[in-house]
Amino acid sequence: MSARERIFSAVRAELSAARDPAQIAGEAAALLAEPDAVRPRLAGATLAESFAIKATALGTTIDRVPALDAVPEAVARYLAGQGLRPSVALDGAPELRGLDWGAVETHSAIAPDEAAGVGLARFGVAESGSIVIHSGPETPILLAFLPLHHVVVLRVADMLAHLEDYAARLEGTEPPRNAILITGPSGTTDIEGSYVRGAHGPGFVHVILVEE
Amino acid sequence: MSDAPHAEAEAPDFKTRAGIALADRTLKIAIDRTTNTAETKRAAAVGAFPEFEAARERGRAIKDHVIANLGHYLETFERNATASGAKVHWAADDAEARAIVVRLCREAGARSVTRSKSMLGEEIGLPDALAEAGIERVETDLAEHIIQLAGEHPSHIIWPAMHRTREQVADLFREGHVPPPSAEDPGSMVRSARRVLREKFLGADVGISGANFLIADTGATCTVTNEGNAELTTTPPRVHIVTAGIEKLVPSTAHAFALLRLLVRSATGGEMTQYTTFHRGPKRPGDADGPEEMHIVLVDNGRSRMLGDEFRDMLRCIRCGACMNHCVVYRQIGGHAYGGTYPGPMGAVLTPVLDGLAKSRDLPFACTMNGRCAEVCPVRIPLPTLLRAWRGRSWRENLEPRAMRAGLGLWAWVARRPRLYRLASGLGVRALRLMGKGGWVGSVPLAGGWTAYRDLPRPSGKTFMEQYRGGRK
Repeated sequence: MSARERIFSAVRAELSAARDPAQIAGEAAALLAEPDAVRPRLAGATLAESFAIKATALGTTIDRVPALDAVPEAVARYLAGQGLRPSVALDGAPELRGLDWGAVETHSAIAPDEAAGVGLARFGVAESGSIVIHSGPETPILLAFLPLHHVVVLRVADMLAHLEDYAARLEGTEPPRNAILITGPSGTTDIEGSYVRGAHGPGFVHVILVEE
Repeated sequence: MSDAPHAEAEAPDFKTRAGIALADRTLKIAIDRTTNTAETKRAAAVGAFPEFEAARERGRAIKDHVIANLGHYLETFERNATASGAKVHWAADDAEARAIVVRLCREAGARSVTRSKSMLGEEIGLPDALAEAGIERVETDLAEHIIQLAGEHPSHIIWPAMHRTREQVADLFREGHVPPPSAEDPGSMVRSARRVLREKFLGADVGISGANFLIADTGATCTVTNEGNAELTTTPPRVHIVTAGIEKLVPSTAHAFALLRLLVRSATGGEMTQYTTFHRGPKRPGDADGPEEMHIVLVDNGRSRMLGDEFRDMLRCIRCGACMNHCVVYRQIGGHAYGGTYPGPMGAVLTPVLDGLAKSRDLPFACTMNGRCAEVCPVRIPLPTLLRAWRGRSWRENLEPRAMRAGLGLWAWVARRPRLYRLASGLGVRALRLMGKGGWVGSVPLAGGWTAYRDLPRPSGKTFMEQYRGGRK
């Protein structure tokens, strides 16, 4: 008997007879009922305000711009403020590639010690101050992990209220190979439980909220 | 190395290990520094979430639903993970799991393997198996990196290096890092580890991670970290291997989020881990990065047996570590003294399942039954009840030391004879009173183990029954 057969026969021996999958699905759906009773309330009056409260509490910095074409200038401003050269690894999203980057040099390859990477978020989650990225031809996962500074462009229109709303957005679609909810800069509490910001991932996360 | 691995991990029996741990003042300092912070932060996170009790009840119900329908969810997950291009492997026990992972590494021609922290990996003995296979293993979680430098095993499921003070970590890094960190503050030590590990991430042939959740309806695995090491472990190498226990299933992504809210608050006192990652199959055509192969090794190792016995509730465990952070015994002796992969209350329930009760019968007795673990458990596992069940089984299986069985047998014989019992207890309290000085009794024959650490209050000289009768007259 294969390991698979042994495990399944052991599991089946201990549980009641096979049940109707539709009935199991109904029970599973019932466990998601009344979501407001089992999740935290939003921290602010609007989704963007709630997101900002949660994100900044974790050390994420936020800039607001009226439209996408103001993003390069906001990136230049952030780099200058951090004392960094105006040079960034840029993900392949056409919304970002199509912008006039002016004095900011952009490149696709991500160096192991890249100073700053700029990417487009799929979604924001107001409940937790998280941004969501999906892997794909335009989105290298390493762009969000190798650079010391991760600059994320997030459209207010892509802001979701709760984690369940993100799960609902995935329904009926082919889920990405790699989906990541990023909630603040990387950090660790592994030495004596005390928090240190900046572990293996970026030490700085900067979100540019696009209002349009 | 600057100091030997903690000696209590090497001793053969629990009492010796606990004794060594209790005598180690530095260990107590290290445990206090982390557990005090963890307890305070958890309380604050739960206090800021008024829906916590309702969320906890929901979390318990989700896990019970999955356990009651485990066969269905295993099949659904296997089907959807396979459809995503991942290859699903099954391991009935730890030896099978080790063999599968080592074979996959060899097939990939792996010389170097990066690992993102996984307690299941520790449970199946993966670190030693990779070493025996001659494959370089690079632990990437900071705490796992610390204990790899020290040649130790994890002493906690969330903070594997909890038993080390920052001064001890600084000593390790000074010897193990080139160039050594410039200072002893945790910040410069973390930066040093980042520098040392960065090149290892990009040079690995295989990345091995665990899973906090297996999502049945998408076939995805979900891993949570704060450091970002999981993504750097799973993205650059050509092959990604996930090892996970079969109890990690959830019906859907939304169910995983419901449990995640409980897990993070209970573990670190945060609201959300910095990185919550869902992996679903290998690199797709055109993808900018990602592994060419994804393998998922599903491990039973005693779990299916727990479905049918009194330890079934333990399958709800989401490995947050709150029970050990709040355990008066864990906080005195630390994790290594328990001698298994999992320490603290949850470990005292699981280790007899994994290693057999004969080898671990002391663990269910290393408990004061104060119930704090059950109070903080986010999925309401009745840990003291389960520990009591092991004590009962230990008695039925005749595992108690002969002296204890004889002593309890004698007590039971006397207790069933009220006159004799009153006579014996009357003599006992008078003898104890004679042994005492002032208000306390400092040593009692045959109870030296107990009185070595504490004094007994000196009795008044009369039994309860004598005083009761006296009062009625």
